[in-house]
Amino acid sequence: MTVLGGLGLFLVLIFVFLMIALALVERRWPARFRSIPAFDALGGATERAVEAGERVHFSLGTGTLLGSETGPALAGLSMLTRVAEAATMSDRPPVVTAADGALVILAQDTIRSAYRRVRAADRYHASSGRLVGATPLSYAAGVPAVLNDEDASVHLMLGRFGVEGALVADAGQRKQTFTLGGTQDIQSQALLYATVENPLIGEDVFAGGAYLNAGSMHRGSLRTQDLVRVLIVAGVLIGTLLKTFGVIP
Amino acid sequence: MKRASTYLLAFIAGAAGVIVLLSYFLDLPYLSDISQWLKQTAVLLSAAALLIGLLNLVGVHLGKIGGQEKGWAYSALLVVMLAVTFTLGMLFGLDNRAVVSLFRYVQLPVEATLIALLAVSLTAAGYRLIARRPNLFNIAFMVSAVVFILGSAPWLILPGLAEPFGILRTWLAEVWAVGGARGLLLGVALGSITAGLRVLLATDRPYGD
Repeated sequence: MTVLGGLGLFLVLIFVFLMIALALVERRWPARFRSIPAFDALGGATERAVEAGERVHFSLGTGTLLGSETGPALAGLSMLTRVAEAATMSDRPPVVTAADGALVILAQDTIRSAYRRVRAADRYHASSGRLVGATPLSYAAGVPAVLNDEDASVHLMLGRFGVEGALVADAGQRKQTFTLGGTQDIQSQALLYATVENPLIGEDVFAGGAYLNAGSMHRGSLRTQDLVRVLIVAGVLIGTLLKTFGVIP
Repeated sequence: MKRASTYLLAFIAGAAGVIVLLSYFLDLPYLSDISQWLKQTAVLLSAAALLIGLLNLVGVHLGKIGGQEKGWAYSALLVVMLAVTFTLGMLFGLDNRAVVSLFRYVQLPVEATLIALLAVSLTAAGYRLIARRPNLFNIAFMVSAVVFILGSAPWLILPGLAEPFGILRTWLAEVWAVGGARGLLLGVALGSITAGLRVLLATDRPYGD
């Protein structure tokens, strides 16, 4: 094992330890997270859609499940679990779209599991998860049709988006839906900030589970992220000071 | 029985993830081989999933055509064009003139049009942003965007202003934007790590219960 390999493995183990420890701590001493307006508004918007018999549209973006885009896709699926559970009261299950076949299958499984948990498996339909287009722009061209045809009033975007994310968001804005969006790419985040009514910035994309009460592990994960970030920032500041005063070359 | 299958799925997913993760840190030949095989299998499964996704796409649109639902004519067009492209590609290969022409004269112009629409969409979004949430951050966001445009675009009138705006643009891009982007990237990286580890620990099971 190389030194870097050992260090990487050590860091992963530290992460796992902190996540489990803080999840256990969370059960006894729950953390209070800052308010994120997008998540604060989501619950009400979903309830209104369910009561009005309208649909929730969940976009998992134009990325695939392989490679560096996996993180936001997994975060999207976590949030989908909670949204699907909240929407099971409705006769019309959420409709999930993606540009990757594997993500569509996982989305279908996620919705099916949510319906099974509330013993309403008969209301699940396979068309809840759809491949809209296999390329980013064909996906962006297909989403407005889904929003219109399915009478969606909640438009959630969580996954990998490039410039086409602005078109996907704009489709929701034009239909005057409740629109929430976040992605991992910094430039696309700037686009979504301008085009989405409720944008998620930076690590907010990964906080959905914790804010939507998906379990103590999600809240423990968020506390771990905060703790590690503070340690990294402290390390950077100490390093800067030491370098500035010539303590380290 | 269902519970056993849930545990089995969680075990398989977790084990595969741990093997691939460990292969990045440990220099063991057999671990590297298994990891490589798992990654190749994932790519193959992903390709198969795309085919299933296409069948799902056709199924959804055939349902709309059958039920004469809103926009069924567009669904019919999509299914016909998909069938034509797929058949041509399968019979004559991707280098065939007809297949290449379909991409060059249908897909590319449509995608280029969408990109052109983006400029209009973003201008409208900028206006809506200020109208909807006129706070300090949004005003700073819009002012920065305008400075970037003025600092990058050619100045046909008042060319003397090109240099100061160029300097301001560079300062904003290289100091403020890079600093902010690093902070955001740090958060995204930490979030990605915890999201992945939750799947390895089977607390998140996107493959269903």
